[in-house]
Amino acid sequence: MISFALTEDQKILQETVRKFAAEEIRPRMREFEKARAVPDALRKKLHELGLGLLDVPEAWGGQGLGALTAMLVHEELAFGDPGAAVALWAPHAAAAAILELGDDEQRKRLLARFGQAADRLGAVAYSEKWKVPEAGFATVAQTTGAGEAYLLTGAKSFVVNGGRADLTVVFAQVDPGAGWAGVGAFVIEQGAEGMRAGARHDLVGLETVHAAELVLESCRVPGRNRLRGGDDFLAAARRFFQRAALINAARQVGLARASYEFALQYTQDRQAFGKPVAHFQSIAFTLADMHMDVESSRWMLWKAAAEFDAASPSAPQSVAKAALHANEAAWRVADSGVQLLGGAGFIQDFPAEKWMRDTKALALLAPSDQMQQLVVAGAELGRAADFGPGVPTSDIQPIFT
Amino acid sequence: MSVDFELTPQQSQVRQFLHQFAKSVVRPLSLQADREHKIPEDFLLRLASMQGTMQAGEIPAEYGGEGEGVGEIKDKRGKSQSNRFAMIGAEEMAWGDVSVLMNLPGPGLGGPPVRFMGTPEQKKRFFGLFKQPGLHYGAYGLTEPGAGSDVSGIRSSCRKDGDHWILNGRKCFITNGGKADWVVIFATVDPSLGRAGHRAFVVEKGTPGFICGKIEEKMGLRASETAELVLEDCRVPTENLLGGEEHYRGKEGFMGAMKTFDSSRPMVGALAVGIARAAYEYARDFVKDNYCLGRPIARYHQIASMLADDARLCDAARLMCWRAAWMADEGIPNAKEASMAKAYAAKAAMRICTDAVQILGAHGLEKHQFVEKWYRDIKVFDIFEGTGQIQRIVISKRILREPPNF
Repeated sequence: MISFALTEDQKILQETVRKFAAEEIRPRMREFEKARAVPDALRKKLHELGLGLLDVPEAWGGQGLGALTAMLVHEELAFGDPGAAVALWAPHAAAAAILELGDDEQRKRLLARFGQAADRLGAVAYSEKWKVPEAGFATVAQTTGAGEAYLLTGAKSFVVNGGRADLTVVFAQVDPGAGWAGVGAFVIEQGAEGMRAGARHDLVGLETVHAAELVLESCRVPGRNRLRGGDDFLAAARRFFQRAALINAARQVGLARASYEFALQYTQDRQAFGKPVAHFQSIAFTLADMHMDVESSRWMLWKAAAEFDAASPSAPQSVAKAALHANEAAWRVADSGVQLLGGAGFIQDFPAEKWMRDTKALALLAPSDQMQQLVVAGAELGRAADFGPGVPTSDIQPIFT
Repeated sequence: MSVDFELTPQQSQVRQFLHQFAKSVVRPLSLQADREHKIPEDFLLRLASMQGTMQAGEIPAEYGGEGEGVGEIKDKRGKSQSNRFAMIGAEEMAWGDVSVLMNLPGPGLGGPPVRFMGTPEQKKRFFGLFKQPGLHYGAYGLTEPGAGSDVSGIRSSCRKDGDHWILNGRKCFITNGGKADWVVIFATVDPSLGRAGHRAFVVEKGTPGFICGKIEEKMGLRASETAELVLEDCRVPTENLLGGEEHYRGKEGFMGAMKTFDSSRPMVGALAVGIARAAYEYARDFVKDNYCLGRPIARYHQIASMLADDARLCDAARLMCWRAAWMADEGIPNAKEASMAKAYAAKAAMRICTDAVQILGAHGLEKHQFVEKWYRDIKVFDIFEGTGQIQRIVISKRILREPPNF
């Protein structure tokens, strides 16, 4: 039955996070940006709300609330500040990777670390700047002994929390030359010998987020930390990226809403020619279009998350559509948000310029739009449009993970 | 209640039935109807005899509607589902052909004002007609040569004369206006009163002084009749004033005209989604079966990207419509959302239909390829039922703290 009604529990959660974002995040967004970090104490405070493993099933120590509920949380956090939303979310994408790629023993053992100390950081090392021109990864995982351990060697880029995470999930080539069929994922614990942080990236937006290179030099990973993705590694990897794309789309919705609401207030307070500038049609209509962009991307997101929760066969396509839609809408809204403020939109006394930079950075924190278009086209056109494996690869564009 | 985007088994059934009908019966008629500017009458008679069509579903059973029509179904909490059913039905039928849908016998847009403002006696009289055999239509006469978007500017006049009202004026762009058994005509007792002067009458076909003027030739929707109506000292009995005289204490007439839009705008949005989906699917299937430079057109990334965007916009437009319809069913005021649904869907559908023509290339211009028809049909969706600009006025008035003076 078509319904847009949130449950009472969802409304309470939404309200709680909205309050946290309004009180703890928004007033300090420029401070975080300058410091290029969020305070550890604040991360701890957020995770005392018990949100870190929100959408992880109860069997693995989570709350089992599902992706749709998680969307509400991520929208609100990003409404506070998109950079802080990423930086405060301690497990980052690592929890989703372990959940989708791990087996039951690994889920229980590894996810528990985020459960026990909620502000522990996670990282996923995926993209590579200098990649060999073939499918898969240049980073290799060499078997030692009779498979009881692997030696990982290579360089990863664009890794959020890279080099300082408690758990880092690294994608590497176990079988070089075998393309995606030879890829594995490995969980490396902090302090492992042979893993070190490379340079931190300077970003166009989301300066609050620590993204860095990660260098692996014969880093030893025990065999029990290889995530095999069940029977189908590719399918599991796709589900992991769907989770990442959903969370990111929720952040874009929050960002777009922030920019829209700010412009809505500002243009009504600002007077010109004897009336609020919002009372000029071209300004008012732009606000109406921004509002439509925010709402349409939220409903696309909710539908995709509901399908993901129900493991619907159409979920991959809906997630890709939602991600595309949110990226496009948020970009347009953030751009309008700057435009409607005029000169005030361009200076850092006002937040609008930050959202315009952040939205571009967010758009690369999950599979790129070009990749998502191929997912949709692949599902819609079938074999007539066989563009490749349907897993984001650095062949097309590197992405932040 | 929780967030849900799945159709109920019953809704799925209705959708499947209507889709089959649209595919096997409606679509094959589409090009001929467009060429000849009409739908074959025997087909319409067959439609009229079908039970549970959407329009019949809009008429409450107690006033002689199809009692068990799909629109009458309520959920466990007693809340209506009719607006959501209408979304599903409208999309499927428009997927087949939107002009056929607009020729569907029934009260049409005249239904909502009679439902909102009519007395029980009036509802019984005007809706009862549709139970009788044959083709019967209602219509909605608001727009005038000098007042379309500006509803408060209508100049058609009405004055009381004994037990009759005398109506004078001209109405234009009235869907099914010429063949309608009755038309809800909005007129004013005094233009200087503005909205408070509006009265709504049901004017029946054959009333002396009620004349059908020219039938418009249009860019699209050619099989749908668009008529000019002329009122020359047209004498309408007092019992045809909707709601009776005591109903009009303030702006009731204007509000009655506006209230129609809360349910009709999402519906118009859903029709646009249906046409857009048809065009998108046509282009999608075309690129799978046709080759360019030795490979399927679908294999070109740029074409695939266009289609991916179109599929996405189609979904987004549908969700905006569903949102407004869900609010209407729940009894939540939805004027803003109804306007957003209509404005968004029209714009998305325009782009999708344009893309479809582009993707087919020269074939996109051929009459037998359908997409050129949808390309012509879709434009009016950003014009009728409130232009895209009017929708944005409605939306901005509701998001701003104080009403703007544009």
